[in-house]
Amino acid sequence: MVLATVLIDGNNFYASCEAVVDPAVIGRPLVVLSNNDGCIVSRSAEARALGIAMGTPYFKVRAQLERHGVVVRSSNYALYADMSQRLMSTLERWVEDLEIYSIDEAFGLLHRPAGGDLGDWGRALRRQVLCHLGLPVAVGIAGTKVLAKIANRAAKVDPARGGVLDLAAVADVEALLETIAIEDVWGIGRRLARWCRLRGVAHARALRDMPAGELRRQCGVVGLRLQQELQGHACLPLISVAPAKQETCVSRSFSEPVQSLAQLREALATYLVRAAEKLRQQRQRAGAITVFARTSPFAPASFYSASATVTLPLASNDTAVLLAAALPLAERLFRPHRALAKAGVLLQQLQPDDLLQHHLLVPTTPEQQRRRERLMAVIDGLNRRYGRGAVQWAACGLQPAWAMRRSRLSRAATTCLAQIPRVLAR
Amino acid sequence: MLVRDPGCTVLLRVGGVSMQGAGIGDGDLLVVDCGLEPRPGQVVVARLGDGFTVKRLVRWRGGLALAAAHPAYPLLPLPADGDHQLLGVARCVIRRC
Repeated sequence: MVLATVLIDGNNFYASCEAVVDPAVIGRPLVVLSNNDGCIVSRSAEARALGIAMGTPYFKVRAQLERHGVVVRSSNYALYADMSQRLMSTLERWVEDLEIYSIDEAFGLLHRPAGGDLGDWGRALRRQVLCHLGLPVAVGIAGTKVLAKIANRAAKVDPARGGVLDLAAVADVEALLETIAIEDVWGIGRRLARWCRLRGVAHARALRDMPAGELRRQCGVVGLRLQQELQGHACLPLISVAPAKQETCVSRSFSEPVQSLAQLREALATYLVRAAEKLRQQRQRAGAITVFARTSPFAPASFYSASATVTLPLASNDTAVLLAAALPLAERLFRPHRALAKAGVLLQQLQPDDLLQHHLLVPTTPEQQRRRERLMAVIDGLNRRYGRGAVQWAACGLQPAWAMRRSRLSRAATTCLAQIPRVLAR
Repeated sequence: MLVRDPGCTVLLRVGGVSMQGAGIGDGDLLVVDCGLEPRPGQVVVARLGDGFTVKRLVRWRGGLALAAAHPAYPLLPLPADGDHQLLGVARCVIRRC
């Protein structure tokens, strides 16, 4: 039995999710903007056809988008995360082992039947995802992760392949590898790509066949592994259980510059509350907190950036404890006349929450500890049930002027009862 | 009982009275399973143009059509080349007492 590696990813994932919950945008050009309505991060096929580039700042193309009647949406992460979870739970049933690689991308492992082509399997999977979830995906099948990435890419580029490609069924693999530019090989960064280009290694086939010694001298065992994978020897295993997180970060750009200490404190409190929530979800405690803030990098002359860290005597995931420790740090970040554009909170020294070390100087009885844990669980439960912010910490402020701009947000159509779409009985 | 497979189940809010005869009223919550293939006789959710519609799927003149459960609403034939899509089967109705 031979193992096959597959890479499944969503086509224009964010844009596709928007079309699933709002049929009015089907067939229309649509773009999704990054946080703060900054740049274009996802485009429907129709928007691509208009020549709208990925990563373009929204303000630069606003007039052009309006002229072409392009639908513009803010990032709706509640919707995308829910659709992602549905996608992954479907994929889990189709493969023997699944590694969730990103919000819209997963590697899978399955046995290849003797001499068998998995193309039909891929097409059936693609059909089911489209039918059950309404999401178009591409399926690349090969012997290794790096090759599965390439197969996936080739499946998308050539419309004749219908979004599915099994490399084992390709007659001329050499020719296909020559169509994959070196920059598009998974694991090749910008610096390495330049180095390859200088040596005349311009595509995946050339990288596969270049002298191993030369590659090893430049980029060590990482490069060798990549080459081995291109040759069909799997050496990047699937990571199906996500490793425990070492750090948790929440940071955002402000919709308008923050100029007062009170506002900075509110913003840091808001991010910390969110980070603490994540921490409890991960069943971890933090031993240290770093807060940071900076001005806009687009005004380099007056650029200012600062961070401050506090170590907790006793690791905690209690929002009140974290707030009390971190908020005084705001004063160390704040400078009058420095208009801050972004701030964030980083929780560090994370440890599992069942291994709590006690501290002589911070006496807490197990009973007190349990009560705090119950309180946090109740707050998290209420916020899950009635929407984030149902129970809020006063330190976060009520109507923040700096809050992220999301002026074109679609509804939380699959996760919030009050926002589910209507079905007409007329 | 309400949800067969959470991965492909969605909730939709009913707007309109055309399905009253089938026990589906205005403002009800509809539990829709997109993992089941709609068959004639079932109450289904379809995309018609740019909106979602709930109706009963019926055979009609060798093809399919959507039938309301209310005398005031006409039959909606589903031509093979029409701008529509059958999305799923309505499994349950949730209504506030």
